[in-house]
Amino acid sequence: MLFKISIAGVKSRWKDYVVLFSGMIITTAIFYMFEAISTNNKFTTSSPAGQNAKFVFIFGSILLAIITLVYVFYANNFLMSMRKHDYGLFMMLGAKSRVISKLIILETLVIGIMSTLIGIVVGIGFTQGLSSLLSHEIHVPLTNFSAFYLPAVWVTIILFFVLFVIAGLMNARTFMKTSALKLLRSNQQSDWQDPKKRTLIGQAILGLGLLAGGYYAMYDINQLKLLAIGIGLVTIVLGTYFVFNSFFVMILEMVQSSKSSMAGLNNFTIAQLKFRIRDYTKILSVVSLLFALALGAITVGIGFQRMVPMIANGNSAYAVGLTNPTRQMKSLVGDLDVSSQVTYQQKIDPAAKTVYYRASQLQQRPMKYAYFTNRSQLKSKVGTASLSQLKNPSSEAYDSLVNLQAPASRTFKIKLVSDTSFDQLHAKQNTLLLVRVKDMDAASNTLTKLTKLQSRQYGQSMTEMPGGGAFSTYQLLKGVFGSFEFMGIFLGIAFLAMLASCLMFKILSGAASDKVRFEMLNKIGARKSVLTHSILLQILGLFLLPAVLGIVDVAFGLQMFVKSHLLQGAYQTFGWSAVGFSLLYLIYYGITVLVYSKIVVPKTKVEK
Amino acid sequence: MTTEIVRTKELHKVYDQNGPRPYEALKGITFSVEQGEFVGIMGASGSGKTTLLNIMATLDQPTSGSVEIDGQDVTHLTANQMSDFRSEKLGFIFQDFNLLETLTARENIALPLSLQNKKPNQIKQAVDAAATKLGIAELLSQYPTQLSGGQKQRVAAARALVANPSIIFGDEPTGALDSTNARELLDTLTDINQQGVSILLVTHDPFSASFCKRILFIKDGRIGDEIDANGKSRNAFYQEILEKLGTFEQ
Ligand SMILES: Nc1ncnc2c1ncn2[C@@H]1O[C@H](COP(=O)(O)OP(=O)(O)O)[C@@H](O)[C@H]1O
Ligand SMILES: [Mg+2]
Repeated sequence: MLFKISIAGVKSRWKDYVVLFSGMIITTAIFYMFEAISTNNKFTTSSPAGQNAKFVFIFGSILLAIITLVYVFYANNFLMSMRKHDYGLFMMLGAKSRVISKLIILETLVIGIMSTLIGIVVGIGFTQGLSSLLSHEIHVPLTNFSAFYLPAVWVTIILFFVLFVIAGLMNARTFMKTSALKLLRSNQQSDWQDPKKRTLIGQAILGLGLLAGGYYAMYDINQLKLLAIGIGLVTIVLGTYFVFNSFFVMILEMVQSSKSSMAGLNNFTIAQLKFRIRDYTKILSVVSLLFALALGAITVGIGFQRMVPMIANGNSAYAVGLTNPTRQMKSLVGDLDVSSQVTYQQKIDPAAKTVYYRASQLQQRPMKYAYFTNRSQLKSKVGTASLSQLKNPSSEAYDSLVNLQAPASRTFKIKLVSDTSFDQLHAKQNTLLLVRVKDMDAASNTLTKLTKLQSRQYGQSMTEMPGGGAFSTYQLLKGVFGSFEFMGIFLGIAFLAMLASCLMFKILSGAASDKVRFEMLNKIGARKSVLTHSILLQILGLFLLPAVLGIVDVAFGLQMFVKSHLLQGAYQTFGWSAVGFSLLYLIYYGITVLVYSKIVVPKTKVEK
Repeated sequence: MTTEIVRTKELHKVYDQNGPRPYEALKGITFSVEQGEFVGIMGASGSGKTTLLNIMATLDQPTSGSVEIDGQDVTHLTANQMSDFRSEKLGFIFQDFNLLETLTARENIALPLSLQNKKPNQIKQAVDAAATKLGIAELLSQYPTQLSGGQKQRVAAARALVANPSIIFGDEPTGALDSTNARELLDTLTDINQQGVSILLVTHDPFSASFCKRILFIKDGRIGDEIDANGKSRNAFYQEILEKLGTFEQ
């Protein structure tokens, strides 16, 4: 009997359940995806990116588990807020609270298990997509990697099962503590009192002061070293809390006391927002901090990615140097988007440890070389090598040419000789093909194939950088930074998705009790458009404020990377990632508004 | 000469008209309320009281028939016109007062006027006037939590009054109140009515009904009977209602 009512209750609100469900599924999928990559030993030890990733991944796993816990907690609250009324009804009908407790645990578990299983399937799909994205877009090569990885499936199932058991027990407990009547009439009357002016101002100043202190600490990282991070963490966490609890409330009070607040529902909107911000101070602070972390992670991740070609291009003007290229190699070069290429003849004298070039060729078709104009900003230029430069072993041009030799002769001297002397040398004549590409990222796949062919040609292992040139540097750096990039981007997006849904569920959990307020407003004559407008603004406030504070946090936090010369062009990357990030975040805002409106805005029954 | 504030004609309401099980909740209701009356509509649960009230209050539309309020036919308005009509012409008394806890008493009372985008000083004057009428002028800067049950009630009543509505509606307004609070609300309504405001209450509670001056009994979607206080004491009227219910429910 109860089971039937239970099913009916779920059916009548299935649209809300769809939101809950998809949220859960995405969370599970994200978690699985992360685990599939991080617990996959074969992958993490065999690929160059993997070795570095290992430790970073464990750290990420823990962070992700923590936010998943918070997420399940909020999603679960939303579930309870939807079911409260039904449970109250069961009690009124005379069901024993023990029976209902069981029902609650059962419902929570059923929802949990279903979403976990579907989530894993979705996760496997995501992982497949992500791995090809990784190798194509950010050029982190993934070897030995499969989307379906059993240990990851287990870890995900066990974690989520435990989380849902805890959640079910917690639900049952809250239920046991509330009376049937309260469950039925769950419009919690809040006991709002306007906070005292003096406390508000005090806290606002304290909050802003703490934030400023934290920002300064990060700015001054060169002096404070590790202490900067400690100081920054403490002051920014506390500062964020106080800024929400008072500074934003103070600003809203100022808006409220202006004349226009009396128009329409402005007063109601501002008052509700004020109330919510104080009521949600903790979650808003958490959202703001996580937003900052996630945005920071993405910015730093993408920043590293952008730096790699910059460093590579400053090291050599040519992506690769090919000694005696085969036909297959030449055709691969043909596939590249080449900006210039040049061929020189050379002869090698192993006894004298010297490589000879025709001076005339290098005069007619001068070689290009790259040099840094500003090493800390990674600004580089490309110059044309003159003969005198190439004759001077301490010039950058000479160095560049040395590095472009085949590995066996890379330690040899280079001599430019006249055509007659060159022709008289008793040695095999080689050709050196130098290839300059327009875009290293775009060329990366073909260049990887080329270097593979080269190492086969030279009979050497991959690690010895057969091609010389900029692409070797590029590959080396990708190996080191690849895992950072990956972690930054992945965790950034995962965190954003989860924190935005936490906020979404928190707001939606309050919808049931807000319903009464909106019904009243509807009765006293608020147009539907006015109600909708008020909802748009209220929820916007709740989404926007933590995002703004988070963006400010990152803007200052990046100083750490800039001042310690870890990251170049940080602010440009930051601008773009902030925009992309905000767009994703906006989607959550839109969904929240839609679902919330559907719950609280009374339907007008106009039939004609 | 008295004027009619509400006049309904042959109201029918069929729920789920095109569904598998259409249900006729109102089966032809015709009556009127005069200016300054205090009318009660009584009936058992499910008899169609809320349906009737919602149609009169422009919260729902009838399947056929018409409702005129203050001379205006309200059955063919658009959604926005309905909203505007409610904010200008109707007042509501809610269960549980339904005050917004985050707004002061003054701001709560001002809501209907804010919705009409009245000028701030106009709003101030009207709020002060309504508050004085109900004896809560000193409480205007308080928040609902700082007020007693009776005070909250008067704030809610002031909100219903502030826009000078043609009539005030209430759907079981005492339904969720304990007897002291219920009594206070009914006294407040009597007060307001004596100042010339028309009131229409829907209730199944004889005690609440006994405060009205005239009662319409509704059963299965039809008006079955009607009684008038005719200057009887409230207690006598209460007895009459009980007797009526005894015979009416048979
Ligand atoms: N939205 C609706 N859809 C279908 N039937 C309804 C709806 N609202 C009310 N009813 C039915 O109409 C009848 C009258 O309901 P209502 O006007 O709420 O009665 P009362 O307020 O007197 O208890 C009831 O039988 C109820 O089940
Ligand atoms: Mg009713």
